[in-house]
Amino acid sequence: MVEFWTAYVWPVLWIIIQILMFLVPVLIGVAYLTYAERKIISAMQMRIGPNVVGWFGLLQPIADAVKLLTKETVLPTGASPVVFFLAPMVTFGLAMMAWAVIPVGDGWVISNLNVGILYLFAISSLGVYGVVMAGWASNSRYAFLGAMRSAAQMVSYEVSIGFIMISVLITAGTLNLTELVLAQSEPLFGVLPGWYFIPHFPMFIVFFISVLAETNRHPFDLPEAESELVAGFMTEYSSMSFALFFLGEYANMIMMSALITILFLGGWLAPYDVAPLNMIPGVVWFALKIAMCLFVFIWTRATFPRYRYDQLMRLGWKIFLPFSLIWLALTAGFLVYADALPG
Amino acid sequence: MTQMPNLVPAYAEIFLALSGLLLLMVGVFRKTDPVRGVARLAILAFSVAGVLVLTTNAVAVTTFSGMFAVNAFTSFAKLLVLLGGGFAVFLMLPWAKNEGIARFELPVVMVFAVLGMMMMISANDLISLYVGLELQSLSLYVLAAFHRGNLRATEAGVKYFILGALASGLLLYGSSLIYGFAGTTSFVGLASALSSAQENVGVIVGMVFVISGLAFKISAVPFHMWTPDVYEGSPTPVTAFFSVAPKIAALCLFLRILVGPFDDLMFQWRQVLIVICVASMLWGAVAAIAQSNIKRLMAYSSIGHVGYALIGLVAATPEGARGMIYYMLIYLFMNVGTFAVILSMRVKDRYVEGVNDLSGLSKTNPAIALALTVLMFSMAGIPPLAGFFGKYFVFVAAINAGLIPLAVIGVLSSVIGAYYYLRLIKIMYFDEAGEGLDKPDLSTGVVMGVCALAVVVFILVPEPMLAGADAAAAALFQG
Amino acid sequence: MIAAAIAFYVFATMAVIGGLNVIFQRNPVHSVLWLILTFFNAAGLFVILGAEFVAMILVVVYVGAVAVLFLFVVMMLDINITVIREGIHKYVWAGLLVGGVLLAELVTVFTSWVMFDDAASLSTAPTPDPNVITNTEALGNILYTDYVYLFQAAGIILLVAMIGSIVLTYRTRTGVRKQVIADQVARRPSDTLEMVKVESGKGLQ
Repeated sequence: MVEFWTAYVWPVLWIIIQILMFLVPVLIGVAYLTYAERKIISAMQMRIGPNVVGWFGLLQPIADAVKLLTKETVLPTGASPVVFFLAPMVTFGLAMMAWAVIPVGDGWVISNLNVGILYLFAISSLGVYGVVMAGWASNSRYAFLGAMRSAAQMVSYEVSIGFIMISVLITAGTLNLTELVLAQSEPLFGVLPGWYFIPHFPMFIVFFISVLAETNRHPFDLPEAESELVAGFMTEYSSMSFALFFLGEYANMIMMSALITILFLGGWLAPYDVAPLNMIPGVVWFALKIAMCLFVFIWTRATFPRYRYDQLMRLGWKIFLPFSLIWLALTAGFLVYADALPG
Repeated sequence: MTQMPNLVPAYAEIFLALSGLLLLMVGVFRKTDPVRGVARLAILAFSVAGVLVLTTNAVAVTTFSGMFAVNAFTSFAKLLVLLGGGFAVFLMLPWAKNEGIARFELPVVMVFAVLGMMMMISANDLISLYVGLELQSLSLYVLAAFHRGNLRATEAGVKYFILGALASGLLLYGSSLIYGFAGTTSFVGLASALSSAQENVGVIVGMVFVISGLAFKISAVPFHMWTPDVYEGSPTPVTAFFSVAPKIAALCLFLRILVGPFDDLMFQWRQVLIVICVASMLWGAVAAIAQSNIKRLMAYSSIGHVGYALIGLVAATPEGARGMIYYMLIYLFMNVGTFAVILSMRVKDRYVEGVNDLSGLSKTNPAIALALTVLMFSMAGIPPLAGFFGKYFVFVAAINAGLIPLAVIGVLSSVIGAYYYLRLIKIMYFDEAGEGLDKPDLSTGVVMGVCALAVVVFILVPEPMLAGADAAAAALFQG
Repeated sequence: MIAAAIAFYVFATMAVIGGLNVIFQRNPVHSVLWLILTFFNAAGLFVILGAEFVAMILVVVYVGAVAVLFLFVVMMLDINITVIREGIHKYVWAGLLVGGVLLAELVTVFTSWVMFDDAASLSTAPTPDPNVITNTEALGNILYTDYVYLFQAAGIILLVAMIGSIVLTYRTRTGVRKQVIADQVARRPSDTLEMVKVESGKGLQ
């Protein structure tokens, strides 16, 4: 009996506990990200923002959640019921699945996969399905247009994201996310942090912009584009199914920020391995870096107008793709020339 | 560090690949008349590649981990393919000018198609075979649908693509069965596995699938359904290309794979090939009779010719292989010449394709009529023209290999086939003259004349043409 | 190992169910969604085999890119399956005949299957031990050395495919006003604006 517990039940329980340890903070993070977004944008626009529910409006996300849950779920006429409800679940589920391989500290990871970065890339490339399915199943023109835009946009920007990842990967010489972070621990020229955003600075910027497109965030929020498409693929959704989309979208933002942090900002590493800095736990550094990325996400939203569709495609295919390809060739060439190829 | 592979044997292919990329750039950035500029450069590239093939064929070698083989046979086949490609592009020059075609991709895709054929010919592994075949096929699908606004061309492209994909699937499936048995895809490994192991149903089924896939590419009956539509729908210079280069490449590959790795299964593949061969000869002869479009007629004619060439393969002797190589060499000239005639069929600045447009040609344009007469007599196999010798060599090889019924059927079907070739001549010489054709372009006329002359003088000087073929056939059976 | 066995049967069963549904669904969009499920299960099977790199690439390439475009096209086309199914009874017998022959062949092949005894010795690239080398590295080691010829050839094939699709679809339209960003950026106030002092009581001219 004891053996049964130690061999079968306990490992499963332990995995479930680990998953909860990741998901609960992420979901709380999502809730307060919406709050932070409203507060930051209101500050930038010289408004006050939510301030009624709780101190400084701190309970606003919870009030919003309760409101969404108590609303009625509407299935539009002619909609395909299975796909219609599957779509938000796919979006939400994928946003959660990605966390399985993200190391938030040294060894703090659910599954230290050898091909972790590919797993993340695969998961993020699947995000488009939630949107496309929602757009199609809604049986609505706005939703369908949104879905079409989204499919084209996400597939296009994924290409340059992939090439940028390869540039980083050949610098680090590993596909394992933990090793990728550790590869950034060696200081650059002995003084600068070894984080890859310094040597790969142009790609860091391109990657960030591509991530904005991949997560359908402003200024690339064409799939929802409220002024032209009402709410794009989300037009027909309400209540819990809408909430899942909403959660999924914000969880994706956090996940992509985590990816940026791991690829370019040295993951959980402190900028310098010296006394006061390295006493702060890695997970705090990780959270700080994510928070910084998220702030830039929101800042972008408050600053830029929406791109037009043809401009979006032009940027992706005619600028980012060649640029990231050239950079990949440069990186590889430099590493071979300097005999600095890892592994 | 790993060793660099020996690139010398593949110089011609590498050169062609690079020049394909370069031509693409030239086409994009050249403002005035990009098609003809690129086409001229493509002919230059083919010539240089031909020289490279000639200079690197001294000894039989393999490279790229044994995936790429070069010997006298592959070099000869590559030269034929390059020649076919060069003729086709040459014929394209006046055509592009007359039709006002402004898309330079046509010659570029042809360069890549020829590259694929050369890779097929040199394949020494099932994977490199497939990759070469696919490069060739993909280019050809694009070429077939090139007149995208035209319903016929679209139909041709789609039909060719779907059936071609099916054939590739069969080929791959057969390859996987063979790999499952032998654990290797290399021709050398397969040959040793098949000679030392006992007979196995899986391998035979796999081999039959591979044969089916290849038979599709050479448009042998019963895998020929696409041929007439594709011939009719494609631009005529492309049809000229279709009728020679891919057929030569696929037949050479057929020969290499059957007498190479599958030599020990000869009893099995011979049965399959005899059926294909007989069906192609008969159907090619019979179905052509009712055609009124000359390109469709040429499609059935090419099906029949593939049947005759396959006789040499069925014989599976050095003599048979030699006969097949002769046949392809002669077929190349006959076919290119005929397509040059088709390309000079212009009435009032429009290309026409009807058989009846030739009526009374002997009065309106006796030179073209004479050239076509020579070519048609040769196609029908009437001595002393080259076409007769092509047939003669394969029939003799078949008789010596004990395949007398096959030779008899071959002779019978050439008699049937002679009917429609002679019908063309009758239309030219004895029918009422129509409007008459426009004056042909110089380069079309040159190609026509050269090919007709080659067909005529073959009997006088066969040695220089055949010496290379003999060496090629010898190299094939050396192992 | 029992977990791996369970996982295998789950993935395999789902892959087969998914594959059947691809064929039998009446709605083509549903067919594509089932196809995606099938891809996933195939990826799962690769993971069980220890080929995690291939599994991830399968998901990235097939599910993340190819199937999205499938879905895109299928949704746009609005295929009416009942029209396509008309006259299926005429062809069903031919289809069954071909399928039956193939099935018979397969049964014959696999019931009499033997592998060539020395097959292992002929193998050109034996699978290395996954504990010694990660399979990304193992693939990289042979892909760019032994198989460089095929790698480059595959690249050319893709190039031809690209040229082909552009040739067959791209149309240069005339009379379209295109945005030229460089022109917009290079535009200065002095190009378009003229500051004029207008005297009071008088207009311009």
